[in-house]
Parts: sequence; C-alpha cells; structure tokens
Amino acid sequence: MAANEKRTKSMRIANMHIPSHGLMLFWSIIALFPFYMLIVNSFKSGLQIYANPFGLPTEWTLANYEYIIEASNFFMYFGNSFLVVSVSLFFILLLGSLAAYALAHWRSTVSTAIYFFFIIGMMLPIKIATIRLMEIIKSLGLMNTLWSLFPIYIAMGLPFAVFILTEFIRGLPIDLYEAAYIDGAKRSKIYYSIVLPLIKPALATVAIYNLVPIWNDLWFPLIFITADNQKTVLLAVTKLQGQYATDWPRVFALLTLSALPVITLYLLFSRNFVAGLTAGAIKG
Amino acid sequence: MKKLLSLLVAIAMLLSLMAAATAQSPVVLTMGSWENTAAAVIQEMLDAYKEVSGIEIRFEPTQADQYNAALRLQLDNGTGPDLFYSRSYATGQELHDAGFNMNCSEIPGVLENFAPSSLEPWQADDGIVFAVPVAAVSHVVYYNSAYFEEKGLSTPETFEEFLALCEEIKAFGDMYPLANGIASEWDILECVYLGMLPNYVGGPEERALYEAGSAKMNDDKFLKSLEDFAALTKYFPDGFESVQYGDGPALMATGQAAMFIDGSWSSGTFARMYDFSDIGAFAIPAPEGFTPGMAFHPDYAIAGNSATKYPQEVKDFLAWIASPEGAQNAANHMPQGFFPMINAPITMDDELSNGILGLNEGRTLDARFIWPRMMDLYSAMRSNLDAIAKGEMTAQQAADDFAKLQADLLSK
Amino acid sequence: MRRYGAGSVHPGGFYWQWYLIPALLLYSIFMAYPMIDSVRLSLFAGTTGTRAFVGFDNYSRLFTDPLISKRFLNAFGNTWVFFAFHMLLQNVLGMMFAVVLTNRTMRGRTIYQTIVFVPCTIAVLVTGYLFKLILNPVWTGRILRDAGLAFLAKPWLGMESSALNIVSLVSVWQWVGIPTMMFIAGLQGISDDLIEAATIDGADSWKTFWKIKLPLIMPVVGMIAIMTFVSNFNAFDIVYAMETPNGAPNYATDIIGTMFYRYGVAGEHPTGIPQPGVGAAISTVIFIMLLIGVIPTLSRTRRKED
Repeated sequence: MAANEKRTKSMRIANMHIPSHGLMLFWSIIALFPFYMLIVNSFKSGLQIYANPFGLPTEWTLANYEYIIEASNFFMYFGNSFLVVSVSLFFILLLGSLAAYALAHWRSTVSTAIYFFFIIGMMLPIKIATIRLMEIIKSLGLMNTLWSLFPIYIAMGLPFAVFILTEFIRGLPIDLYEAAYIDGAKRSKIYYSIVLPLIKPALATVAIYNLVPIWNDLWFPLIFITADNQKTVLLAVTKLQGQYATDWPRVFALLTLSALPVITLYLLFSRNFVAGLTAGAIKG
Repeated sequence: MKKLLSLLVAIAMLLSLMAAATAQSPVVLTMGSWENTAAAVIQEMLDAYKEVSGIEIRFEPTQADQYNAALRLQLDNGTGPDLFYSRSYATGQELHDAGFNMNCSEIPGVLENFAPSSLEPWQADDGIVFAVPVAAVSHVVYYNSAYFEEKGLSTPETFEEFLALCEEIKAFGDMYPLANGIASEWDILECVYLGMLPNYVGGPEERALYEAGSAKMNDDKFLKSLEDFAALTKYFPDGFESVQYGDGPALMATGQAAMFIDGSWSSGTFARMYDFSDIGAFAIPAPEGFTPGMAFHPDYAIAGNSATKYPQEVKDFLAWIASPEGAQNAANHMPQGFFPMINAPITMDDELSNGILGLNEGRTLDARFIWPRMMDLYSAMRSNLDAIAKGEMTAQQAADDFAKLQADLLSK
Repeated sequence: MRRYGAGSVHPGGFYWQWYLIPALLLYSIFMAYPMIDSVRLSLFAGTTGTRAFVGFDNYSRLFTDPLISKRFLNAFGNTWVFFAFHMLLQNVLGMMFAVVLTNRTMRGRTIYQTIVFVPCTIAVLVTGYLFKLILNPVWTGRILRDAGLAFLAKPWLGMESSALNIVSLVSVWQWVGIPTMMFIAGLQGISDDLIEAATIDGADSWKTFWKIKLPLIMPVVGMIAIMTFVSNFNAFDIVYAMETPNGAPNYATDIIGTMFYRYGVAGEHPTGIPQPGVGAAISTVIFIMLLIGVIPTLSRTRRKED
C-alpha cells in the first residue's frame, strides 16, 4: 500500500516534467524574443528603434500601420499572396499525394526511375532555370500576372511532397487497407478514404514546409510581375527598401501583418496535424 | 481520376483566358528603375510629361539590389520595360553590347546639350551614346550642425584640420567622431576612400596615367592617401566591423556620431526618415600642399529599350529629358542630392543639395577612380581597406598590393 | 510489423499512370526541363549577345582559376560548417523538442509546439535585420554593458572568426521547427503498446528513447538528414539578409548558395555582370555531389524494404 502511494507520488512528480518545461520555457524565450522585437518596433517611429531597440515604445504610434494599410494597398497584396499560397499548396498536396500513392505501391524499375526523377528536383537551385522558365511563362501568356507563379510553385513543391509522402505511405501498416482491397474497393476509393486520412500528419508537414518559402518568395514575383495590382506582400516590402535607406519600422509593420496569416494557416494545419495523429490510432 | 484531369484542363483554360483578358491596348510606356523609395515623386515627373505630350509612362521600380539581375532577365526574355535606368560605365555598357539599348546619339539634343565628359560614362567604344545622362552624385562629409555650434567647432579646410577636429570630438567623449563602418563592404571604398582620392591623385588626366600604367598605384600620392585613410579609421565607432551603411545616418540622427562620410544622395534621408535637420556638409578636405579634388560621379542615365513596341514615343521622351525643359522638370522631381548633368542652368530648391553642389567650385572633378577602366580592382582594394581599418595591414603594404593588382590588370 | 509499402496488395504496372501523370507533367515542364536545359549553360561563357560555346572551360576555371577556385573552395568549406550546425544542433534540438512534446502527460504541448514553429513564419529578410540590430554593439552595446554583459558587446557579424557561426546559429534558430514537426509526426506513429511494454520491463525514458523510439523513427531521421544536406547547399537567404551577397566579412560567410547567386544570377557588386556559365558549372558540380550523397542512401532504403 505504502509502496504504491510512493510510486504514485513519484509518478506525479515525473508527470510535472520539470526539466522538460525548463527546456521548453528556455527555448520559448529565445524563440519569441525577436518576434517580440518585431512587433514592438513596428509601433515605434523611425529613430526609436535605434535609440531603444529592446524596450517598449515610449510613445506608441500606429502611423506605420496606417501607412501600410492606406497608402500601400496592403489588403490587395495580401489577397494576392493568400491566393498564390493556398492554390499552390492545394495542388502540391493533391498531385504530390496522388503520385506518392502510386510510387509507394508500384514497384518496378520505371517507378524507381520516376521517383528519383522527382527527388533530383530538390538538388538544383531553381534560380538557375529562371531564363527558361521566363520563356515558358511568356509563351503561355502569363507574364505579369499572378498566374505565372502557380505552376512554378507547384512544380517547386512537388519533389519534397513526393519524397516525404512516398516514404510516409510506404511506412503505413498494411492490414486495414488490405481488407478494403479484398472487399473490392477501387484504388481511387482507397486513396480517398484510407490513405489520405492516414497521411494527414505528413500532408501537414509538407504544407507547412512549403508554406513558408512560397509566402516569402521574392525572386519569381520580382522577375515576373511589375504590375502593381498583381504584386505579392513580400514584393510590396521591397517598395520600402531603397537603394541606400530602408524604412524598417514600416517594414516591420508590414511583416507583422503578413506573419499573422502564416501563423493562422500554421495553426489550422497543425490542428489537422494533431487530429491526424489521433485519428491514426491504428499504428504499426 | 478522370474528373480530376478534366478539372486540371479546365483550370489551364481558365488561366489562359485570364491572361488574355489582362492584355493591354492604349499606349502606356513602362520605365524600369532601381529608385524604389522615391517612386511617387518620379511618377509626378512622368505625369508632368504626360501633360506635355499625352503619353502615359508608368514608373515600375525594382528592389535596388536586384535591379541589374532582374532587368537583364527581362530584357533577355523580351519583356523588359520600354525605358530603363542605366548605370554608368561597364554595367550599363554590357546591356548595350547585348543589343538592348536604343542608339541615343541620334536623339535630338543629346550630343549638343551634354559635355563630352558627361556622355563618356554612357558611350560605347565605337562612340555610340547608349543612354541619356541624367544625374551625378558627389561624396561629402555630413556633420551635426547643432553639435558643432554648441561646441564651437568649425568645418575643416585641410585634412590635417579634419583629423584635429576628429581628435577634439573624441576628447569630448560624448559622440563618435565618424559614423562610418565596414560591414556593408561598399561605402568604405566608394564613399570614404574613393571620395578622398581626387584630393591626392587629381582629375581625369592624372587618372589616365594610372590606367595606362605610367604611374604606379604605390607612388607617394597613393601612399599618402592610404596613410590618411588609416588615420581616419581611428575615429570610427567601437565595433565599426559590424557597422553597416544604413547605421550611419541613424547614428548621426540619434546623436551618437558627429560626422558621416557619405554620398550627396543622403542629403534628403536625414530629414525624410529621421526628422533630423541639423545637418551640414563639407567637402572631404585635401591635405596641405595638395590640390583639392572632388569625386563627382556620373550616377545614372535613362535608356530606351531597342525592342520596344513604341520606338517613336520612347525617342520623344528621351529627347525631352535631353532638353533643358525636360531636365529642369526631372530636377524638380529628383530625390535630393542628385545633380543634373545637362549643360544648362538648372535650379534646385533644396538648400542642402545646392550647398553640396556648390562644393564643386574650385575643385578638380572626376568620377570614382576605378569606375572608368579599373573596376576589376574593386573587391581587392576594398578588402585592403578593411585590413587597414582593422589594423591588419599598413598603408605601405596596401599600396604595394594596389600596385601589384594594377600591374596584373594591365598585363591582361 | 507489416508495412504498407512492403509488398503491395495492388497489382503493379502502368495502372498507376493516372496518378502520376498530372504531377509528372507539371514537374517536367516547369522544373525538370528548365533545370536540365540550364545545365547546358555551363558549357557557354558570357551573357546574352556575347554568349559563346567554351566546352568544359567553366569547369576547369572553377578548379584552376586562382580567384574563382579560391572562392569556390572557401564557399564549399563554409557550406559544410553551415551544414554541421544544422545537422548537429538543429536536428538534435528538434529531436529533443519532439520527444518532450510527444509526452502525453505533459501540459501545454500545443503551445510549445507553436512557439517552436513561430520563427519559421518570419521572412528571412526580417530575421536578418532583427539579429543584425541585436548583434550590433553600436545599438545594443550600451544596454549589454549596463547589464554587466560587456563581453557580449562585440561586432559578432563583422569578425571573420565569428560571423559564420553566428549566421548558422540564427538559421538554426529560425528553422528548428521543421525537424521538430517531422520528428513529432514520426514519434506519434509509434504504438503506445510498445512503449508501455518497455516501461513495464523497467526501462526508463532514456532507455526507451535509445532502444525503441530512435530505431523506429530512423527512416524519419534519414529523411531529415537528406533534407538538411540538400537544403544547405541551396541556402542563400540568411547570409544575404544578415551579411551581404558577398558573404561579408571578407567572404567569411560566403556559402555555395551566395556564390552561385553572385556568379550565376546577379554578378558581383558594383558591376553586377554575371557569368551564368560559371554559375551553372557551380550548381552542376554541387548537383552531382548531392546525387552521389543522396541517391545511394535512398536506393538502399528502397531496396531494403522490398
């Protein structure tokens, strides 16, 4: 009896996870500090950021935000970025998971070759292909439109999606879904009702991994888009960056605003991520 | 699965429809530029041109540090702007060599309204002018005028006085004498050292001697310039190794530094960005016994795209910019500290800019020393200057290295 | 444990075409073809208008031209240092965070998980600027000295001895969320029964980690190692944002990505005239190196499962 009590007590202490919380709290401070600086400094006027980089603003000003929202068409840029990111991600996940489903099952030299063909896409800097890409985009008549970005971002995201998802699908347990096949379910049905739910965490990983570079990409919008109404948020940031001087408080305001949707999207995906994990109760 | 494919096909069709819908019809020219932050004023200038000519020009600047790369790719691809800012010397000429620039020698006014020395930075070896010169910049020392007044300091006439002034400010202990650093890896060479250099080596004729190899870059003049540079670096801020170009004006405006060696283009920055107007400027002084010089550097010109759909409209605009009326209009809408290159009396209303331009009086003017012919020395020279500032190299060692680089370049 | 991929229940062969064609088509047109075609550039010198076929000259310059080969070797070495930080620090931290955050009895896991990920969402441009500000003694030196931390007030980003380490650390700070997420996904996939059985057998959490968890998520570890390896040779933004495209100070932070950008795309300041042929040669050499590193690893794991 006494031994049992002692054990529960030590378990209770173990469940408090003091070293774990210590580690996470420590990292949280490190992780959030620059974020704190980003937000705090976006409420400062030009010079305060230098005079007092760490502290709270001596006088809070909304001028930076007002300028961003009123003078610089933030919501338009924002809408453009949002469209680009969500459409690209949707197709990366859809096409990537379909291809991964096939590559995980179809075992032959051809499939291995296709798999590696996708993988090599992760190994060359895409910038090297800019000239050729411009020609393709131009011949499709997509120059100077947002639409020029979709196919490139989707193609850019596919190697990683195929890599991760193929590995993931191959790692899944076979039993449940074998039954479905014996029951005569079609492949498309198995993909939709069994594979997709099981790989939700992997889909979330792929989405998050691609979300950040697409949202923050500057290069392709810079080259392809000159019309103001087609610009993305990060391209709008560059309007505040001069040859010699950059208006940092305004950049901070703009980027604080533009970080919000990324975090929102992340929370959305990560809930999916967690849900996927709990749903995946059938474990190998 | 088939459904999905048809969906994809539908989307592809939609994409091409959208693209077709955005194609434009009336004559609207576009102008590419690296002048990002001043986009609004320059658009005003172009709107003023529309009043005169009825032609609309849209100003579409790119982020400055990506401009060269982005412009080349767009020109390569046939999607470049109709008009574009052209950098001086090799960088600008490279696009001309690739056939992207309209021949500006034929534009009315270009050959008449500009001095040969103003055209030269945008003139190919065969004499063709490939862009219409617009503005030059110079290198000066900005100082905190309120602080100078408070402490009873006066601006120096010679380099020796300049050093004494730095020493005096250092002794006060409340400000760094100079706000310059080396972290950005360009301003230390372009603004500070090449800003000083005309005081030591003289103007275009003397520069030609070095370019031909008949004068060595470790002669007494160069050695003296490097010794003076070394003396100056003693007054940089603590931790100048990580002080970037953009920190300079901020150090001035926060009252942490008293002086900053910089370009004329910054004359508007202090007031516009930091609401700081206690600013004066003086020329980087020559040492006693040397003829005062000044780096007056051709900065940009405007070129016409040879592949434009509207060649006549583009030529009309270039002719306008090459005329006194057009140049005056451009000057009215130019950011502060950019000086018109046209041979015509152009007035500017900014006092500080006018003051800086006035410093040219009585000084031998020249472009930045290495720009016309010796650009290959850029990064090696810069790295020697860093080493001097850090105390890892003496002036003599740097000068000898300069001479070696010069010899290598000439033997190519 | 039978895995899905090990001996599929589906018949193989070309039935799979409909699943593969959309992705293949898009990927081939917008990525593979332009990239493979661009490799051809490595056999040419000059830019538009002056482009001329030079055979393998760009490659030999990469290894023999005094200036280019010096820069290339320097950037190559720096990239390995950069890689070491990510492999040893970022991925190990990610693993620690993942183990902690998959502990079901721990509270606040979702909050911590989000916080670890938050830095990934900031544009690198801003990360770079914020850290430049924090690490610049001109702006923060006084505060540090007042706090008795004078030894921290050094020009970290301006000293050749520390710049690369600092830039690598900042990059680790920013991206540690990615391996954390992936390890969490891997660890969550381990059956509770296995862990419980081990616990009943008297294994402590340290032992369970080494004997059960780690071996089971080895595929994820391999995946992350490959990703880290590949992405480090393409890294560019953080150096660009914190230092200069030259890898200041004095090329101390020049990595393959920045060198490729300078030679292949933008040219070096101030002329800004690129040598696309040299750029293409750099990326081709790195590409081949990555292939040699990655493909055998991958095909081994693929074969093993067959």
